[in-house]
Amino acid sequence: MHEVGIASGILDAVRKETEARKPARAVKVGVRIGEMAGIDPQSLAFSFEVLVKGSDLEPLDLAIEPGVADELEFSYLELEVP
Amino acid sequence: MTRVPMEGKVLNENDRAAAELRAEFARHGVFVVNLISSPGSGKTALLERTLESYPPGRRVAVLTGDIQTDADAARLARYGFPVRQITTAGACHLDARMIRRALEGWSLAQIDLLFIENVGNLVCPTSYDLGEACKIVLLSVTEGEEKPLKYPGIFFKSELMLLTKIDLLPYVPFNIDVAIANARTIHPEIQIARLSCTTKEGLDEWLRWIDARALSATKASPAAPELVR
Repeated sequence: MHEVGIASGILDAVRKETEARKPARAVKVGVRIGEMAGIDPQSLAFSFEVLVKGSDLEPLDLAIEPGVADELEFSYLELEVP
Repeated sequence: MTRVPMEGKVLNENDRAAAELRAEFARHGVFVVNLISSPGSGKTALLERTLESYPPGRRVAVLTGDIQTDADAARLARYGFPVRQITTAGACHLDARMIRRALEGWSLAQIDLLFIENVGNLVCPTSYDLGEACKIVLLSVTEGEEKPLKYPGIFFKSELMLLTKIDLLPYVPFNIDVAIANARTIHPEIQIARLSCTTKEGLDEWLRWIDARALSATKASPAAPELVR
């Protein structure tokens, strides 16, 4: 139910993280999600796609990795240097 | 292409608001409990018996959430403590911003213990941090003993499982040992208490648990008394 909020949180963090690494731009962000985190990965992927579309971060991919318990953490960021 | 490690929790807006609330509760020494269960498991009845047993000077307050009506606030206001209804108008859970709005005008310095009665739902409230010190899940004996397995999230995140309506045990095919074993499968450290708001059996134990847990929170130690081995 709250995957849009989570997706928007991920985008905010990616924006902040890439700001410091200009002119590199983010192409992929990895997050770890545990089974007890209460997040539906499919729903998160869908929300993420919708929010990225037309935004300053497009194109940006989301990679979801299995996490431990209620983990909901960032894992990595893939950058492309123009 | 380069890959760089990225650290930190994925925080959404709710988590940020909840973190602010938690800091504020800590600053004023307010111990906050988030009560979660299916509709009809006895959250309001538990609060009625709890408030009823407190002396008039007790610095306790209640926020009670429902999709519609202020019926619960009306039930709980009779005991003379500050009570506010949060009507979510459709939302299936409370979120941190609703709590912030509902607290407006209350002086947290005057409150030691705040009960938040969530909207009856075992799924959605699990994901929304309200800045509470602990979540407590209620499971009534008129429900199934497999509920902890069907809704693992909330049993995993709750410190205490309260088995309610135990006066009805002779009349329902509820196996309390199986329910406890199921809860422990999901969350081995979960504490367990049983009570009946009708006969008041187990009520004193519950009241002692809350007091001890609140005390341990203010001493910044998470330990609370063990109820069931």
